[in-house]
Amino acid sequence: MEDAEKAEKAFLERKVRKAFQTLLLQRGRNPGVKGWELKRHLGRDYRKILEVLSGDVRALGLEVHEVKGVDGSDDASRFLLRFRDPPTMTEAETSGIRIDDLAVLASSIAYINSRQGRAGRRELEQFLKEKFPKWRVDYSIERYIKKGYLDQDEKSLLRIGWRTRAEIDERTLMTLLLSRGSEVATAWGFPLTFDYLVNHLPPRLSLLLHSRGEVRGVRKSDSSPRE
Amino acid sequence: MGDRKLEDLLRVISLCASIQSSSANPFEVDIMEKLQVLKKHLPDWEFLDELLLDSEALYELAQIVKLQDLWLKQKATSLYIDPLLVQLKVKLLSRQALAESFVKSWHPIAQLDQLSPKGLEKAFVYWRDLRPFSERFKDQFGTYGARPGVVDYQDLVDLGIFTQEQFDSKMNVVYDELALTSKGEWIDYREFIESSEVEKKITRAYILAFLISDGMALVKTDPLTGKISIMPLPRRATGEAKSVAISVTEGT
Repeated sequence: MEDAEKAEKAFLERKVRKAFQTLLLQRGRNPGVKGWELKRHLGRDYRKILEVLSGDVRALGLEVHEVKGVDGSDDASRFLLRFRDPPTMTEAETSGIRIDDLAVLASSIAYINSRQGRAGRRELEQFLKEKFPKWRVDYSIERYIKKGYLDQDEKSLLRIGWRTRAEIDERTLMTLLLSRGSEVATAWGFPLTFDYLVNHLPPRLSLLLHSRGEVRGVRKSDSSPRE
Repeated sequence: MGDRKLEDLLRVISLCASIQSSSANPFEVDIMEKLQVLKKHLPDWEFLDELLLDSEALYELAQIVKLQDLWLKQKATSLYIDPLLVQLKVKLLSRQALAESFVKSWHPIAQLDQLSPKGLEKAFVYWRDLRPFSERFKDQFGTYGARPGVVDYQDLVDLGIFTQEQFDSKMNVVYDELALTSKGEWIDYREFIESSEVEKKITRAYILAFLISDGMALVKTDPLTGKISIMPLPRRATGEAKSVAISVTEGT
């Protein structure tokens, strides 16, 4: 009986090790492994093995994450290893990523989400060019499309890409962006309150944004920002 | 009459296409009304082309219904925020604040890049077909510019700034002027080359340097006062030549 248990345990360990290696090593152009590939490598019970693996890599600050495919089937899902917790700003900076690049991506995601998940490329470019240099906008959008953060169709409509779905907690991002309203005055370096700014906007926008005791669209229960 | 009906169909198709190719609200299309139009015209279609156009219009309307479905789903999630609010927020927030919000919601993918035989082959082919650096941008930018150096008379002739005849005549003009001004005596170099235009001043200094090198004029410097004097010679001087560096700048 014990031998059978030991054998089963060894078998599971072997499978988990194989799953880890499969997920870690990039095969094709994009990271992650599709469900049908995992089924072929690990067998039908690959989800259970991934669960065990996710628990094992927790100590390393990682987790197994699933990104649903277009048709929502298991085979089309993409599985990948990702950081369990977001990195700190310092860690992100030391990895060589520019703050401006991150700001462009954050703005793009927020804009597309606010436009019901699709926005014309020109519209987005015009919007971003009000804040960022033209060359950076053109360069960044192209790069994020290539990396999979944004998706562009043949009609030049941009959507949220698979990589954004994989790496970014969009709900947290939107909540954080909205909840940062009170920092406006300090960011500008002079004591203007948000209400002051709102009152000096066109009437329609002012009515829409006027503070009514709490910042619109932010629920404390939704946010789980890491301090 | 038939043309007008066809126009109705084309208008439906065009409207649906414009909604699909922009981020406009798909609910701006009144599906019921458009279907009524198609239904009304359907018995009048006789030819295959007309029926195909009708089916295309129906397909485009179906696409709009699909978009409406996605629109509602998106709006139902908590990700929906009024576009105006988002635009205002993004405009007001600093880049640092935007980046911080992003990083706090970011879970980077952990992966290892590896070199596969296919990748190695691709790199080899790339390297093999890569043209040498010296030839790569020749088509776009021509040959590379020369390093900073000395421009001699031949270079100026080659560049088309001077022709041989122009230069010779200019040298003669400057020599005659020097002879006339100095009357065979030493005169101040800087006073001689002085001109209201910088280009003219430098040109005179340049030509004078050739006259001196050619032995048609003498130059002497006073190390105590720094004064430089020149004097024309009636005939070409012989003897050992020495180099004197004189800086000529605007205003001096």
